[in-house]
Amino acid sequence: MSFGLWEDLKGVVAMVDAEKIASKQKQISISEFFEKNKHFLGFDTLQRAVITAVKEAVDNSLDACEEARILPTIKVEINKLKGDKLELICQDNGPGIPRDSVEHVFGKFLLGSRFHAIRQTRGQQGIGITGVVMYSQLTTGSKTHVISKIKSDNSAVHVDLGLDTRKNKATKSNEIRDVWFEDGEEVVNGLKIKTVMKAKYQRGRQSVHQYLRMTSIVNPHATIQLTVRDGDGEIIDHGHWIRTTEKLPRVVEEIKPHPHGIHLGQLQRMLKEADERKLTSFLRHNFSGVSMRAAKEILSRAELDESRTPVRIKANEAQALLDSFQEVKLLAPPTDCLSPIEEILIKKGLSKAIDSRFASTVTRKPTVSQGNPFQIEVGLVFGGDLAADGPIEVLRFANRVPLMYQQGGCLMTKALESVNWKQYGLEHPGGKGLPKGPAAVLIHLASTNVQFTSEAKEAVSDNVEVHEEIRRAMLEVGRGLKNHLKKSKQKKKAQEKFDLINIILPEISRKSSEMLGREEPDLSPVITRIMNAVFLEDEVSWDNDAKQNICSVTIYNYTARARAYTILAKWPEGEGVSMAENPRGGRKETNGLWAWRLDTLNPGESAEIRFAVEGLTKGDWNETDIFFRGNGDIIGANKIDEKLLDEMRKVEALVVAEAEHSRDEDIGSLERVLDRVEIIESLDTSKEESDSETIPAETEGASVESGDWGSLAMEDDAE
Amino acid sequence: MSANGYTKEQVIEALHDIAGEMHNKMLKGDPPTMTLPVRTKQNISFDSKLGVYKYGKKRSTRDATSLGSARQLLRALHVTEFIEEMIEAGKSSTLREMYYISEGWGHGKFGSQNESNNLAEDLEIITKCMREDFKLRPEEDGARIIGNITFEERNRRGEWMRINCRDDVGDSGYGVPYNVEFEKLRLVDHDVDFIMAIETGGMFDRLVENGFDESSRCALVHLKGQPARSTRRIIKRMNEEWNLPVLVFLDGDPWSYRIYASIAYGAIKTAHISEYLATPSAVYLGIRAGDIESYDLPADDLSSKDIQALNAELSDPRFADAEWQEEIKLMLELGKKAEQQSLAKYGLDFVTDTYLPEKLAEILGR
Repeated sequence: MSFGLWEDLKGVVAMVDAEKIASKQKQISISEFFEKNKHFLGFDTLQRAVITAVKEAVDNSLDACEEARILPTIKVEINKLKGDKLELICQDNGPGIPRDSVEHVFGKFLLGSRFHAIRQTRGQQGIGITGVVMYSQLTTGSKTHVISKIKSDNSAVHVDLGLDTRKNKATKSNEIRDVWFEDGEEVVNGLKIKTVMKAKYQRGRQSVHQYLRMTSIVNPHATIQLTVRDGDGEIIDHGHWIRTTEKLPRVVEEIKPHPHGIHLGQLQRMLKEADERKLTSFLRHNFSGVSMRAAKEILSRAELDESRTPVRIKANEAQALLDSFQEVKLLAPPTDCLSPIEEILIKKGLSKAIDSRFASTVTRKPTVSQGNPFQIEVGLVFGGDLAADGPIEVLRFANRVPLMYQQGGCLMTKALESVNWKQYGLEHPGGKGLPKGPAAVLIHLASTNVQFTSEAKEAVSDNVEVHEEIRRAMLEVGRGLKNHLKKSKQKKKAQEKFDLINIILPEISRKSSEMLGREEPDLSPVITRIMNAVFLEDEVSWDNDAKQNICSVTIYNYTARARAYTILAKWPEGEGVSMAENPRGGRKETNGLWAWRLDTLNPGESAEIRFAVEGLTKGDWNETDIFFRGNGDIIGANKIDEKLLDEMRKVEALVVAEAEHSRDEDIGSLERVLDRVEIIESLDTSKEESDSETIPAETEGASVESGDWGSLAMEDDAE
Repeated sequence: MSANGYTKEQVIEALHDIAGEMHNKMLKGDPPTMTLPVRTKQNISFDSKLGVYKYGKKRSTRDATSLGSARQLLRALHVTEFIEEMIEAGKSSTLREMYYISEGWGHGKFGSQNESNNLAEDLEIITKCMREDFKLRPEEDGARIIGNITFEERNRRGEWMRINCRDDVGDSGYGVPYNVEFEKLRLVDHDVDFIMAIETGGMFDRLVENGFDESSRCALVHLKGQPARSTRRIIKRMNEEWNLPVLVFLDGDPWSYRIYASIAYGAIKTAHISEYLATPSAVYLGIRAGDIESYDLPADDLSSKDIQALNAELSDPRFADAEWQEEIKLMLELGKKAEQQSLAKYGLDFVTDTYLPEKLAEILGR
């Protein structure tokens, strides 16, 4: 509902823009509008104004670089001036803005109010850079200096921009063309903004520093630098986040709106501006998910003639049309319009900003709520430098834009708090509020239409589907954490036993024999008595020379009987990631799971499995899970759950089939695939935890869709 | 020769038996072990022959199936080796020095000084030797004594030095050395009627300043809180060799009860050598729980820890007799405790002019 208000506002401004306020209609002063609405434009306090200004500039830079396929390098400089004033300088290496477009980009409110085509962009969330120009002008009377250089021009354009608030247009002054040098080097392409505004720089959880830190986490492909100086030119705050990947985010597709996600005002505008002559073609051309058959059904339910001209549809008829949208079964909108960060990049992003021991990340499949495609990603980091006392840090993002205010009222926080973290190894007093411990949780909502609680756009509003998706993602990373903690504990225990038999016991034997002048006893029966178990040690390390991950698994039989096992190891199989060396051979069990059948291990014997994986970079893969088939327990590995494994294989086969079919253009076969997908989905949901809080976490892990291998373990883990 | 009369060879042999137990187990294919008495109040009992509390029959076995226990076994071997070296070289070291020396013992090194102290005690208990036999000195501070008694102490040059604890010492009194066994200290002569052991320095100094040692013909021993072994040992020797009564003057709180018990009956931690340390005839003079009321002393409320300690004492075999049970229950009932120095409420001389004489009359009948 609140989003609707914002849309309407956009509409007002768009109209102001379109009809040029100089017309006979009541003139709306843009500055008055700004003044009235500065609380939700993000300029309501001096502390917040500078954050908003940086946000607008940086979001623009990131969007521009993404579109131009440039790896962004962004510099932000803030210099304190006298009397609560700051100088803000933002510079990027983006494509720049063509000379003729500069005043257009900087001088118009709410650029790109896209209500016909929707897609996931950062800029969707702000007032735009124009707000910065205006704020600067209103508070200090200064112009904003812009330098822009596009690659194809010989020189850069340098210009001072102001706003004609009556005409909603930029005013240019001192425009020159000149070569642009930065640090003695000519800039080939880029954009630099320098502005003076009334603002206060502050540190802490709500600061420019935190905003950029968070931005760098979800934009691992960006290098961002911050320098803040006080009045004497002394550096008082700085940050430098260097890119951890060269991989740019995928280009997002624009999609047409889906009938389930539209409201009346929008529909009326679309009807008004339609070129189509008939309603059927209007529906099919302007919406996603509407087939000819569906269009006809919608119109018959709305009791509208197919041949009516869209422009002539009256308000009450539009309402009828809107109502019938909800009654007709429609294809879901496409989800390739979303740009998730992806698990491995979230890991990299987090590692760039936070030093931790363990990271678990999940990218859920895209899904749809009220006609809007959305996708949830979650990352959890644990240990390392993170503070152990106090609540965990929550990092919220909507379409890669950090949300810094109103944490408590945000759907993301509520979904996080709804999980019983105690069973995943975090302190969670009373099961309420934020859990405590050395952890940070990242939540990213990617959507073509993020719904906020207010125009301030700092908290995502309640939505059952989004809440459930976030919760499930939390359960997945929670299981990852639980698994990690259990593993660390087991590892520590096993390490102690190894120290005991390999170091301490031989020393006791040597010393006591020496002291008594007796012969040393044979220790192997003693060792068997002490250990009385099969132990397994695994380690994933990075070979910097070969640029490979080496996984080494050693199994020791410290029992009195011979043992035979098949060992299964999880590995990050995927596009571009392959086994480089695997001398023991074995076979692929299913996607991401390899199996080796070992020869019989006699008492006291050990065996090693070693394989190398290439296609990853350092830090991508640090920990693995090992499973086994065979009798008796192994300390350090879990018995594989064959039933779950079978189901995973089935699902995998279906996914392959789906992929093959979707390559066909034949609609008939596509529908068959859709049927299959539905079957898969129903299989998923039947496997999915329904009330997971009440059943043990291991069974709740029965989800097969996410590759959550931890859940492959049988309940009775070796301890 | 030491208090228990063991020779060097006997000490080393006793220590080797510990290594022997480990070696024998390993020969049989079992994890090495170390067997020792359980050191809790549940495993001390009254030895009527000795008149003190000793460890009972409960034994615990430390076996090398966990890393912690295995480390303890290895440490015991390192310590044994270290003691042997010292015995051979005629040296001694403090427990603290041993703790630092263990830095070089690899996996056998101690994690804290407490660990090394405890292990030294373990070895004493198993071998029935005393740590003096092991050439290990405590860090702990010995007591000071003032009164007309005369000792002979062998100094660093090996000469016997005669010291009268009234005439040859300053205000701080005679400092008790860590070793008060026969080879180090001789009890020569005395002209006192009893020994009074005092918990706090403040009270000790008050009695000295008021000339209580002379006026009441006694030797004053400052315990410095929980008394060190050498303090308990010297009290015991004066009691036995000179046949002097021992009166113990402490604060009136649950911790003072424990101090008294360690002097009179033996401490739980050192129950293996109670017969060398405890003075069964020592009398608890005060502050009694009843004194708080009868002398109307300024008192503090018992803390929850105090109450816990008192309740634990109720089930401690050393406090099993009716008089002690009554005393402890009275303190619980009053919910109060009082310091020795609360007697100053009635002036600086009250303790020497009124309180102590009244108590002495009660106890000694004078």
